[in-house]
Amino acid sequence: MIHLLGATTYVPYPSWLNPGDNTWQLTAATFVGLMSLPGLAVLYASIVPKKWAVNVLAMMFAGFSLVLVGWFVWEYQLAFGSTSLGGGVKVIHGVVVQTQLTGTGTWKHFFDNFIGKPGTTTDSHQEQGQAMSGANTIIPFHFPTASLAYFQFVFAAITPLLFLGSVIGRIKFSAWCLLVPFWSTLVYCVDAFMLWGGGYFAQEGALDFSGGYVIHMSAGVSGFVAAWVLGPRLLRDRQHALPNNLVMAAVGAGILWLGWNGFNGGDPYYAGASAAAAVINTNIATATGTLVWMGMDAWLSKEKKPTFLGGVNGMICGLVGITPCAGWVNGWGAIAVGATACAVVWVCWNYLSKVPPFSRVDDALGVIYTHGIAGFTGGMLLGIFGDPNMIEYGCGNANASGQVVATSQATYLAASKTCTPFGVNGLMYTGSAHQLWEQFRAAIWVIFWSALVTFILMKLIGLVLRGARYKDDILEVGDLAIHGEEAFPEDEFATRSDGAFAMAGIGEGAAREPETDPLPSPGGGGGD
Amino acid sequence: MKLIVAVLKPFKLDDVKETLKSHGVQGMTLTEAQGFGRQRGHTEVYRGAEYEVDFVPKIRVEVLVEDGQADDVVDAIVSAAATGKIGDGKVWVVPVDTVVRVRTGERGADAL
Repeated sequence: MIHLLGATTYVPYPSWLNPGDNTWQLTAATFVGLMSLPGLAVLYASIVPKKWAVNVLAMMFAGFSLVLVGWFVWEYQLAFGSTSLGGGVKVIHGVVVQTQLTGTGTWKHFFDNFIGKPGTTTDSHQEQGQAMSGANTIIPFHFPTASLAYFQFVFAAITPLLFLGSVIGRIKFSAWCLLVPFWSTLVYCVDAFMLWGGGYFAQEGALDFSGGYVIHMSAGVSGFVAAWVLGPRLLRDRQHALPNNLVMAAVGAGILWLGWNGFNGGDPYYAGASAAAAVINTNIATATGTLVWMGMDAWLSKEKKPTFLGGVNGMICGLVGITPCAGWVNGWGAIAVGATACAVVWVCWNYLSKVPPFSRVDDALGVIYTHGIAGFTGGMLLGIFGDPNMIEYGCGNANASGQVVATSQATYLAASKTCTPFGVNGLMYTGSAHQLWEQFRAAIWVIFWSALVTFILMKLIGLVLRGARYKDDILEVGDLAIHGEEAFPEDEFATRSDGAFAMAGIGEGAAREPETDPLPSPGGGGGD
Repeated sequence: MKLIVAVLKPFKLDDVKETLKSHGVQGMTLTEAQGFGRQRGHTEVYRGAEYEVDFVPKIRVEVLVEDGQADDVVDAIVSAAATGKIGDGKVWVVPVDTVVRVRTGERGADAL
């Protein structure tokens, strides 16, 4: 076949699309999706008593599905749309523009940049056209909206699933199914737009690489408030809160750790050096956190034993702590963040938990500590350990399609009149506490908004459903009473009772015993 | 006929099984069990919380023997299972009225 130069022929994608960037974005998104299903579902289901395992799994799969449908029908545009409801962010000549970057700090500025304009993300142009979002106003995206929207969906999905750990063992399945879409819309989308979608805090300069605030701190606070409104689990369940399978807990935890390569590695939006550095830093911080918790258990706990589930807690603290910092700190910074986040949470887990209000609220799996406090600590540490030489986006030459052309390492790192390589100015490297202050302001907002809206939603759901928690007689039984299923059913003791398969042609013949026993059973006493 | 029941430390199972074989016992029934005696229970730690567990894992071995064999078999089990430390377990013997082999319908000593 002869291609004539300049003649139009078939092509797989337009020139704004970069297959490397698109491949990594979809891969990273899938990794993050696996963190929810099965990662978090299996981890949580295996560290609850076995009478609650099915309920946890059912709420995990339902929650994931509820966010998925809501995300593409209305939520994505609220969090990452190119236009804000108040008009502070809008598209001008095909480019997303933050219109109020000067004269910021007023209430008008706040509400003009509060949330995106609602809309669907379902038609052909929206799915296949070039992504456009206030999440990145300085370099055109190299992949379609479908890639960005799915990548952001898996983050939106895991957030309520994280705080499921606070409310298990008493929340009604129906209450959970109401809470998830409303919480996702009113808490997650607002915080995501303000910090990531180009909204108020993004314009003010607060930074959150992959969700230390928007995801983890928000989940921790929301779970804590929801647990407080719901009241505690049954006394018996609290006193017998043993995990049912530590081996499965290891499977879930391991998927979380390695899935986090997509969580933090996908957030630069380009398959470049920042993505690679974010992956390495994530792993360094996580290994440090795991070791620090096991060490503190071995030397500082009453029992003086290194525990496996303690190691999992430390792993999560390292992962959560590095999340807001991942590509913006160097390797030493990652060690410092992992160790600090883990040590802070260990102390809170063992001592703060004995002080009100923490001692009064039954946060079943301790989400306020491993996600709330770890996320806050990591977000603040970015203001200290942010290394301006860790470049997320550098400078160079691009063609009209936004693809890089002939850019050397020296050019990439050199500032000019039109471009300054983007890194974070932490206190340790610049002596300036400005970033720390911006981090603090954003943290206060996320804590306040998550707590307030979760409280109102839980109260309303309680009114609508005449109580958001099950009655005690249901709680005493657990999975069997709620779902009619057990995590580890015994087939030998159960016989089908609805008459199915008792039909003509499928009867005695099909069910007859084999003539020879392939596996002789041992006798009850003497041999035979 | 006698039913010998032994509640023992799980890691002693192989020794007990071998000694039963060498004493001509042709079969045994084994159950995983939980129990406590003077040894009492133990503590477990999950996610920083300490739990008292009143029972420790044991195996429960049951063998059917003829009357004259019982003392020998009991002695064999005891010497195979003993470590001299607290928590070694107990062995007891109960009389048995009838034994039937399900496959053939044989009764009494023939069924052993």
